[in-house]
Amino acid sequence: MNWLVEQLGILSKIFYFLIQVVHWTIIISVLAYFIALVCGLLFGIARITNNRFIRWLAGAYINVLRGVPLLVLIFFFYFGLGKIINLDRLVAGVLAVGVCYGAYMAEIFRSGIEAIDYGQHEAAMSLGMTRWQTLRYIILPQSFRIVVPPAANEFIACLKDSSLVSIIGLRELTRAGREYANQYFLDFQTWLMVGLIYLILTLSLTRLVKVLEKKFAVHGYGMEKK
Amino acid sequence: MIVEIKNAVCRFGDITAVDGISLEVDKGDVVCIIGPSGSGKSTLLRCLNALEDIQEGEIVIDGFRIDRRYKEIHQIRLEVGMVFQSFNLFPHLTVLKNVNLAQRVVRKRKRDEATRISKELLGKVGLTEKINAFPGQLSGGQKQRVAIARALAMNPKIMLFDEVTSALDPEMIGEVLEVMKQLAREGMTMLVVTHEIGFAREVADRIIFIDEGKIVEAGTPEQVLDNPQNQRTRDFLGKVL
Repeated sequence: MNWLVEQLGILSKIFYFLIQVVHWTIIISVLAYFIALVCGLLFGIARITNNRFIRWLAGAYINVLRGVPLLVLIFFFYFGLGKIINLDRLVAGVLAVGVCYGAYMAEIFRSGIEAIDYGQHEAAMSLGMTRWQTLRYIILPQSFRIVVPPAANEFIACLKDSSLVSIIGLRELTRAGREYANQYFLDFQTWLMVGLIYLILTLSLTRLVKVLEKKFAVHGYGMEKK
Repeated sequence: MIVEIKNAVCRFGDITAVDGISLEVDKGDVVCIIGPSGSGKSTLLRCLNALEDIQEGEIVIDGFRIDRRYKEIHQIRLEVGMVFQSFNLFPHLTVLKNVNLAQRVVRKRKRDEATRISKELLGKVGLTEKINAFPGQLSGGQKQRVAIARALAMNPKIMLFDEVTSALDPEMIGEVLEVMKQLAREGMTMLVVTHEIGFAREVADRIIFIDEGKIVEAGTPEQVLDNPQNQRTRDFLGKVL
């Protein structure tokens, strides 16, 4: 019984220590995900334009960034690029995670756009809409609904991968965990608690996504899709 | 003459869907195009809206050459209303917004003006009570009537109907055809690809029978339907009548 109380005391101490930096994990993942969304939308659309060069460029971006380990990208942005153009830890870390996830998001957006029945393009074009108007008013609003679940998955993955930036000294959850474990030699309890906090974050996100999906649902929407 | 097709050829790889068709349509004419499936009648209609390219020949609508390589093709397209077999309503928008959208972003009409026009047209096709419904809540016939209103809202000079009743349950075909008959009476220039021979007989000024990408026979409903000269026309009519 005493042992249990002691352990719970240790765990709660670790929890209070970690919870003070958890906002950094959230800030890094939200900023990185925002970059990923912008890159993803841009390159996802670029991937299906008529211009062959732009299409090739988008393909290159996606293939290169998906093909390189995120950890290597972080090193490249911080130690490589960062030393040349003087990038701050936070900027380098966020950029690395952001552009990497941008590549995945681009493929999600592309598939979301391509999932829309071609008849929708034809109907819009026959009403005299340009390609951009068609994309903006007809295709993208429908794609977003398709894209929400996989895009939310990417945010969860992005949140977890934000732990990688601890390696360049950004003091977020994982980094703080390592400090604590090294200082008090409480590896088991510390990493258990770090894992638990990540789990709380990701599980609450999953709930949030469910709410969002319900909110965006339109009555009878499925009937029009073939 | 509002539509002028000169020797149009449309190929998909090795297949020639439209094989040298020439056709002239005067303002206010209703032309029904009939023929077996795969004969190229839908493709011909789609060429008129630059949804497909022609490789040879020329299509001129109201003085404009139709060519999808033109930057202004979307400007020309809005003079040509099209209604599809599969409705193609925008499922994320209400009925009213379906009809409003292109008026607002293409014709640059103010919201009030667009809404007034939409309501008027939706009233005309008998869907006043449905303006706030989503397409998914409508029956096939209702969807198709919204699609007609949506195309009409752009004030097109001609209307193209591509087998608009083929995906409908039998009891809904009548309500859509009724709207089309009314349009024809009002003097709209219409090109109608259809399997509804009875409808064609009633409203068409001219009927064109197409097979294997070519016009086999053309003339008034009496000439083509009652007195077909060509054996292929007779075979086809024998099957569908």
